[in-house]
Amino acid sequence: MKLYKKEGNIVQILCFPTENAEKGDYLMIEDSEAGKALIAQVIDVQFAAIPGVLEELLRTLPDGGEPIQGEDIDPMEIAPHITYIQDASLLICKIRATFQNDVLSPSSSWLPSRSQSLIRKLSIPLLLRLANVEGKLPIILGGTKDASLLTIDASTIDGTLNIITGKKGCGKSHLSKLLMVSLLGYGATVVVFDLNGEYSSLGFSADGKRNMYFDKIHALTPSQNFKVAVNQLHLNVVMGILIHALHLPGTSAREFRRMWKQLKDKGNLTLSSLGEAIRNLNCNQHVRDALSSRYHSLVNSGFFTDTPAEATLLEECLLKANDKGGALIVNLKNTSTIDRQIVVEYVLGKLVDSLSSWKLKAAFLFAEEAHLYLRETYWDDIVTRMRHFGLFTTFVTNQPDTIRENIYRQADNIFLFNFTNEHDLDVVSRAARVDAETVRSIARDLPPHHCLTLGRVVHDFPIVARVRTLDLKTMGETRLFFKNMN
Amino acid sequence: MDTTLPQRFLEQSVHSLKQVQQQTFQLNQQPFHQLNTYDQDPANLQLNRTPIQIKPNHQETTIAAIDTSTIKIGETSTGIIVAIRGATVWKQNRGYRYTRLGPFIFHITEENKKEVYNTLERAYFTTRYETSHFYTPSLLQMPTRLASLLERWLQTMIAKTVTNGLILLDGSLTSGTIDTPVYRMKDILDLARKNQNVILAFSKVTTLRTNGYLITDQLPSSETPYLLETSGLGLRPPTVLLGEIYVARLGKSNYAFRLDIDKEIEAQKRVEAVERLVGNDLYNQNYPETLRLSHILCTFTANEVLAMQHFITRKHGIRIINRPDMHRLLFGLFGKGEICA
Repeated sequence: MKLYKKEGNIVQILCFPTENAEKGDYLMIEDSEAGKALIAQVIDVQFAAIPGVLEELLRTLPDGGEPIQGEDIDPMEIAPHITYIQDASLLICKIRATFQNDVLSPSSSWLPSRSQSLIRKLSIPLLLRLANVEGKLPIILGGTKDASLLTIDASTIDGTLNIITGKKGCGKSHLSKLLMVSLLGYGATVVVFDLNGEYSSLGFSADGKRNMYFDKIHALTPSQNFKVAVNQLHLNVVMGILIHALHLPGTSAREFRRMWKQLKDKGNLTLSSLGEAIRNLNCNQHVRDALSSRYHSLVNSGFFTDTPAEATLLEECLLKANDKGGALIVNLKNTSTIDRQIVVEYVLGKLVDSLSSWKLKAAFLFAEEAHLYLRETYWDDIVTRMRHFGLFTTFVTNQPDTIRENIYRQADNIFLFNFTNEHDLDVVSRAARVDAETVRSIARDLPPHHCLTLGRVVHDFPIVARVRTLDLKTMGETRLFFKNMN
Repeated sequence: MDTTLPQRFLEQSVHSLKQVQQQTFQLNQQPFHQLNTYDQDPANLQLNRTPIQIKPNHQETTIAAIDTSTIKIGETSTGIIVAIRGATVWKQNRGYRYTRLGPFIFHITEENKKEVYNTLERAYFTTRYETSHFYTPSLLQMPTRLASLLERWLQTMIAKTVTNGLILLDGSLTSGTIDTPVYRMKDILDLARKNQNVILAFSKVTTLRTNGYLITDQLPSSETPYLLETSGLGLRPPTVLLGEIYVARLGKSNYAFRLDIDKEIEAQKRVEAVERLVGNDLYNQNYPETLRLSHILCTFTANEVLAMQHFITRKHGIRIINRPDMHRLLFGLFGKGEICA
């Protein structure tokens, strides 16, 4: 391989057919005289612009269009050399760092010698070692192309905002589960908004037996084993549900607040007394109607109860998880849009309460297709305010444009699966820790179950890995009509 | 088929490259074109502007064409490195097929040029021309002379193997020049005639003029295809004209070429040969496709030149150097390099 060109932080390297390099590979461009080396990643492989190739290809086609048949008597055996030159490729590489005195620095300000530089492939294990990616809390994400393991440190997910995105069916949820159980293994508190009911059975291995996570996974299905006693609700949580999930106007909200306080003071805060109070409320008809419709939405959700024995104390579950590590799986499958928003609003409200009062140290939130249940203002809350409280979110989505641009800008880690749509790639490439060329070029060619890991977890060295399989009952498989038909 | 000549080409090529091992060489590619430098007296040349109409004859006829190419791919401290390749193309059963021979790479120096040329000359032609004395070309003439040797050998082979066909050559049927002795050209024409072949030589460029105008520019606006006859071209000895010269306009586009057809063939047969050519071959800018392909196939592309430079570097340990271009060095932007100087 020969260094051909450097423009900004892009280097072009001439690669001959005997030297195999592919997209995603890392190369070390060593300039022994300068005593340093550039570490660059191949982001595209092109044909080298060899002069005369077009003529070479054209002359085998006569006017008729069919290739001309013939025999080449090549006694000096020049033909292999022609092929060798013709098949030379140009590697477009992005400079990731400079390696000098055993230290990596994110600099590309120097120019290695074009004639003297030695270019060789850098194996992923060596790169990870140089970059100190492996830490004390290893999470094995999967295998890289050179048969090594991509291991990240759990602490690099701590305090971060993560995005897992990619086309449908390429393994996003699988990776999300892998991260989740790995965090669980290190005693973390995890909350999952499980849109499709895929996470509830993670306490079982693939063969249906209980696994090490069984005792740590608490699946909560709203209106079934997850109900809330009205008298245990905090007013601000209820107001949050009414205003944000049920869009209660301001005037009506004020009336409700007053009414709630009165009932609480009387020690008569139940669903039925609340209904009665709304019916008897002496106020504008529109206000009463607004309150009445919201009240019925709360009642119909089945999520609220007057019987404390039926209620699940979310706070207790969270505290339990906080002590020993555990996951609260909020199963949102078969839940209507409104009910979903009520539940999410309640859970997030409770989480913020627990975190702000330091009852809970920190929690990892996994939110699948969050746009389906997360209210607009929560996006900013999650990435800014809640992060400071200790709520670290991982968004999982196959529609990257449903996540706001400012979320991408603040994302610390992105786990990117295959995307072919230019628009989707454009959206993802807005992330601050990612360069657009890398995203566009590598993500487009990722095979299924292969993930491009970007950001803090890999110390800003984008690495492609095949996500490892899990011995878990994942239930994420799509139900098919024609399955087992043949 | 007698393959002595290609074998000698290979031997001489390898032998000459061995002498250059571990040397450095200066990259410098430059194609050589065979130039017609023979003396001609066009004073009496006349062009009959009454066209001979050509009626395309579609009777299945084999059409074969031969061309060679040579290129200088570099210089060493003692000589030049050149590559030579030949191509024959034939059209048969509505399809084109080709055979390419080479490339042969030679390192030619003042010391070895005589040996290389004479060995090759002797390899195929001397056995039958004991009396001929070998003339050693200058270093700069060597590439075209070697290519000429290969071209004549290919022409001989085609004349021997094709029957009832048309053999298209690049250039003219003028002989008696240093690289085309009369006996050699005659021999090829005789061989062709013996096998009922007709040799037609197309010149892409001609210098022949009548009334001050190029003969290929004086085209009547008659229906194409047609031939225009010429007469009266005198050549100074030892140059001999072995063909009758025509101007051939074989298609509708406004291009015409000088066409030499074997003189020993009857005038009617010559016209019939052109009719068979027009009826059997394709035409691109009025130029026969078979001949065009032979030229295209033997021409060296830049990619091939790179490959040959790679070959001599790898196989013969010749180190590539970049000697400064003196024109550039002395005249800066005004120095256009050796070729254009």
